[in-house]
Amino acid sequence: MELTKNITLGVYLPGKSKIHNLDPRTKILAVTLIIILLLLSRSYVAFAFSAIFIGALVIISGIPAGYALRGLKPMLPVLVIMWFFQLFLFKSPGATVYFNWWIFEATAAGLHMGNLIILRVLFLFIVTTFLTLTTSVVNLTDGLESLLKPLRMIGLPSQELVMTLVIALRFVLILAEELEKIMKAQMARGVAFDRGNFIQKTKKIFPVFLPLFIGAFKRAEELIVAMDARSYTGGKGRTKMKTLQMSNADFSAAAIMLIYSGIIITTIIFTPPMI
Amino acid sequence: MKFLIKTNSLTHCYRSGTKDEVKALDNVSMEIHQGEILAITGQNGSGKSTLARHFNALLLPSKGEVSVKGLSTSNKQNIPLIRKIIGMVFQNPDNQLVTSLVEEDIAFGPENLGLPQPEIIERVNWALHTMGLQELRRENPHSLSEGQKQKVAIAGVLAMKPECIILDEPTAHLDPRGRREVLESILQLNREENITIVLLTHFMNEVIHCDRMLVMDNGSIKIAGSPCDLFQNGENLKKSGLELPVASKIAEGLRQEGFNIKPNIINMEDLVESICQLK
Repeated sequence: MELTKNITLGVYLPGKSKIHNLDPRTKILAVTLIIILLLLSRSYVAFAFSAIFIGALVIISGIPAGYALRGLKPMLPVLVIMWFFQLFLFKSPGATVYFNWWIFEATAAGLHMGNLIILRVLFLFIVTTFLTLTTSVVNLTDGLESLLKPLRMIGLPSQELVMTLVIALRFVLILAEELEKIMKAQMARGVAFDRGNFIQKTKKIFPVFLPLFIGAFKRAEELIVAMDARSYTGGKGRTKMKTLQMSNADFSAAAIMLIYSGIIITTIIFTPPMI
Repeated sequence: MKFLIKTNSLTHCYRSGTKDEVKALDNVSMEIHQGEILAITGQNGSGKSTLARHFNALLLPSKGEVSVKGLSTSNKQNIPLIRKIIGMVFQNPDNQLVTSLVEEDIAFGPENLGLPQPEIIERVNWALHTMGLQELRRENPHSLSEGQKQKVAIAGVLAMKPECIILDEPTAHLDPRGRREVLESILQLNREENITIVLLTHFMNEVIHCDRMLVMDNGSIKIAGSPCDLFQNGENLKKSGLELPVASKIAEGLRQEGFNIKPNIINMEDLVESICQLK
């Protein structure tokens, strides 16, 4: 019953590496670029290059490789099922057939499609985890706010959206703790959450979530009053204690990203796709 | 005498105009002096929170008037200035901290005021220093004790450089140690920074440190005066559902048993001294 221990949202490993010290905006933009390139990649060669690049980043950051991969464990069964789905159900006329039974047909096209999807999910996961491992939540939201600022011109309330995110991140832990308290209180009165079949278990969840939601609304109301008392009137007219500053390292990082993008785009054009 | 806050026949009704109308404040006229520590006590539902929320225009009067340094809260244009003069700290620290980093949370108020960056940094440093929180500036409030969280909340208000801080039962959620720490910082703010303090509390052991106290009951002020005087007339307080501080209770009991105990005893030190002089 230790819910707060299982929450790994925004886990950050403090460090002093070159990657940790980059401006969060550089990191957010770089990760976005890597994600776009990953989604465009369709050849094994392109993924191999990305693997080398991301591996190098992880080594520079000094984060233990096991740590970067740890979060994958609960996803593993889903990935395996996805792979089998693609292998047996993806059909492409003229592809080599390895195996055939009833409606299941394992083809070369299915195999490659499965590999492609697994590689993409795997790499996306590692890259985004890498971002949160090397960037604190506060830096991330600051970077996001700064990057989204120009969108104010087209009417997007970017500062308010980021403030919402900041508050949400703060309350995740508080609400997890509250959920734990409610469940323990009910266990003390004889509710056994781990007993019964699926439907019986599901029924027990409702009496837990109702007080949690009511509690959350009460907290929200109190928070609004407190923010009001501290003169919050939305993003307009607000200044910031910290302003982000690009350094030489950020320009080097941009140059490296440019070279990497060039290599990946060249491989995408000149190497044969998986399917 | 300069009044910082003044209410004039203040009446407040919740859900006014409907049939569940509740009169939370009834014709309250009072003033708060610059530089004092005022305690407002009373049972739950006596209207003390409602009254306090009028001081910085979180609530507006149904009838009557509230003015802060001569500025009426009913005039919308005054509200930003009033909120700058009067800061407010609430009961539950978890529900008033906004960000996941102590120093960022303290900067929240000054940022809202639109101050230039160097001034925000200076104020945050000053507030951290004044509340003794320098070591915790890079922490997540979640990892702090309740008392420390409440001190962060006070520092967040302090960084806005208010003339007066209203504290709405700031120690109700705390353990005895946290309670003592928070009370000490509040008293220190009054002493060293000359900030007017309005303390809403249930704890008579906190009231004894205040210059003046008001007892609220049923939406109006029943008793007002210095804690020392009021605790002599224990009967009046009991009628409003309040208890005497421990030292006064013991002194009262000893007097009834025929011991010669000095009048005006409200804290332990005086009681001990008086008992030692017996014999």
